[in-house]
Amino acid sequence: MIAGALLLLILPLVMAGVVYSLLRWTSISALLSIGTTLALGVAAVALPLDQPVRLWGGREIAMGEATTFLGRELVLEQADRMAMAILFFTAAGIFLLAWRFAPRSLIFPMGLGLLSLLCGALLIHPLIYAALFVEIAAALAVFALQAGKGGPTRGGLRYLIFTTLALPGLLVTHWLLERYVLTPDETGLLSAAAILLGISFALLLGVVPFHTWVTTITNDSVPLASAFVLTINNGAVWFLLLDFLETYPWLSSHPRFGPIVYTAGLTMIIVGALLAPAQRRPGSLMGYGALIDSGAALLALAMGSETGLTLIILSLMVRPFGLLLMAGGLSGLRTRSGNDDSFAALRGQGWKTPWSTAAFIFGGLSVAGLPISAGFIWRWPLCRALASSHQDSVLFLLLAGVGVMVGVWREMSTLLARPRSPKDRSIIPLGSSEGWLTAAVVVVAIVAGVGIGLFPQAIAPLAARLAKTYTFFTP
Amino acid sequence: MPTLADLLARVSFLAAMPAVAGIFITTGILVVSRDWRLNSIAFTVQYFFLVLLLTRLIRLEVAAVKGLIGWLICMVFYLTERRASTLKQLLSAESTTGSQRWRRWVISAQASFHLLAGILIAVAAYTAALRIPLPEVPGDITLACYLLAGMGLLLVGMSEEPMQVGLGLLTFLSGFDLFYVALEPSLAIAGLLGAVSFLVALAAAYLRTAQVASSREEGTP
Repeated sequence: MIAGALLLLILPLVMAGVVYSLLRWTSISALLSIGTTLALGVAAVALPLDQPVRLWGGREIAMGEATTFLGRELVLEQADRMAMAILFFTAAGIFLLAWRFAPRSLIFPMGLGLLSLLCGALLIHPLIYAALFVEIAAALAVFALQAGKGGPTRGGLRYLIFTTLALPGLLVTHWLLERYVLTPDETGLLSAAAILLGISFALLLGVVPFHTWVTTITNDSVPLASAFVLTINNGAVWFLLLDFLETYPWLSSHPRFGPIVYTAGLTMIIVGALLAPAQRRPGSLMGYGALIDSGAALLALAMGSETGLTLIILSLMVRPFGLLLMAGGLSGLRTRSGNDDSFAALRGQGWKTPWSTAAFIFGGLSVAGLPISAGFIWRWPLCRALASSHQDSVLFLLLAGVGVMVGVWREMSTLLARPRSPKDRSIIPLGSSEGWLTAAVVVVAIVAGVGIGLFPQAIAPLAARLAKTYTFFTP
Repeated sequence: MPTLADLLARVSFLAAMPAVAGIFITTGILVVSRDWRLNSIAFTVQYFFLVLLLTRLIRLEVAAVKGLIGWLICMVFYLTERRASTLKQLLSAESTTGSQRWRRWVISAQASFHLLAGILIAVAAYTAALRIPLPEVPGDITLACYLLAGMGLLLVGMSEEPMQVGLGLLTFLSGFDLFYVALEPSLAIAGLLGAVSFLVALAAAYLRTAQVASSREEGTP
């Protein structure tokens, strides 16, 4: 009998090796990666936890069976399986876009390897090991973030620095809390643990002033790899944070928890709102969009209610629709402008690469939280939930959306600028150089995003069900 | 043939303040110098002193394995920088002149600034070791932890060069590791921390290679 937890760890790792060896055959490696992640996502959601399932050849899989790794227990619980399904389906989306926009990049094998490590981080107990797995994943992510042919190295480096600096806090917290159990009179241990934990998660989530890695990776690194980090790695960090809060409920019940998280979230939104419209490179705009999104999720956490938790999980589900489209579009634009994404280089590019342009613009609108986009379905309920108690934060959240939209508008006007001289206008090609398969992938991604925006009831109940598995906000 | 324990017994007199002083000197060299050969040697010696201090907190075999990982990391750095240096020389139109070679050894304004910053960090580490002693570790090891962590952070903050940042991150991690082995002596944790260090080194080396590839494409040395 195969334990489900082990399957979720081993299979992506094995497939990472297979995909790496087949990397020169773009379509095969991409389709294998997509197939693996989709299959694992479906297995995580659909296979029952309480009874084994018979496979071909008589082998059985028991998803809920505990197994040991490094002498520690790995258990697939209800909350973990949903979290993993989100990670796997997001990865499938990234691989689909990478198939057309970043072929032969290391994102396929590294992405599968990262999924294995991040699943390990969510499955393993105690949480001290999870912190180490997240750090190992960050070091591996550098290989995917760095473009193969050189280019700036700041993105991967910054991400590695901030994740490494977060590690000691998480590890020492565990020891402090274990010691507190033995000596409950020493309340100073709890304060020290809370401070260390707060700083560590602020580093991992890119809370201002530790946000520089977010915009650097979107600016300097492979766009789809940075989207991987901002959706999957960050998603795993969010679930890890929720696991910490579930394991140590005194953290969320601390009187200063709400105000601190609220201030952190609001600061991120204000910084994002001020800087997003001023960006002259699409990569930076994507980074500030992600910053605003994370800030809004922190506001939802600061609500200290099950509604807030549902909104966080919903944000993790819909964030990929916007960021992946932006990253895919940016990849396409950079490829055709010789890796230069300055305003001058992108001027008029939209006529040559209409599908990349469409992907970037639709993604940007979703990140801004425009109605009928995927991003709207959690921003609007968040604004409504905050309206009664924090009108100022609602105002800033709406202004942040406007800020991102202004940034997207500037990019769009540059991309769709027509050559100045009437003579040159005639040479604008009417056909696209991107191919029908790229067009199909972009259309599918845009339709999926708009579909979710129009029919949020398709995923909102899943987010609510997952939120119910966390009990730390339950009175 | 002497065993590992015999060899260690011969140098055990170093496993206190002399090792801390050694760490201060080696981290100081890492902060001030930009010569990859000197940095590789300093980093290798730093791991030697680190292993000596570790033997006071954990089993000799575990400390030796940590040292081996550290020296493997030094090897990765050395080989990467050697290759990068060869490629740089190929790119240079003319070889380094005698005056340029000499200038390398004269202390520059940048190096003197780094030296000053390093001294400030050392003073801060000494004060912190006196005022905020770390739990479960003796005073001299506390000082070594603060020195390593502080100098590591300084290295990370002062440069955007992959190898300098990599050295900084690993120095920072070494300082933390020296403290954490006293709190959590688990072998699994020791192994995973070793894996983290090794992967950080590989990532830094990969970024350095990408940087060199990029400068080759641009044709700049």
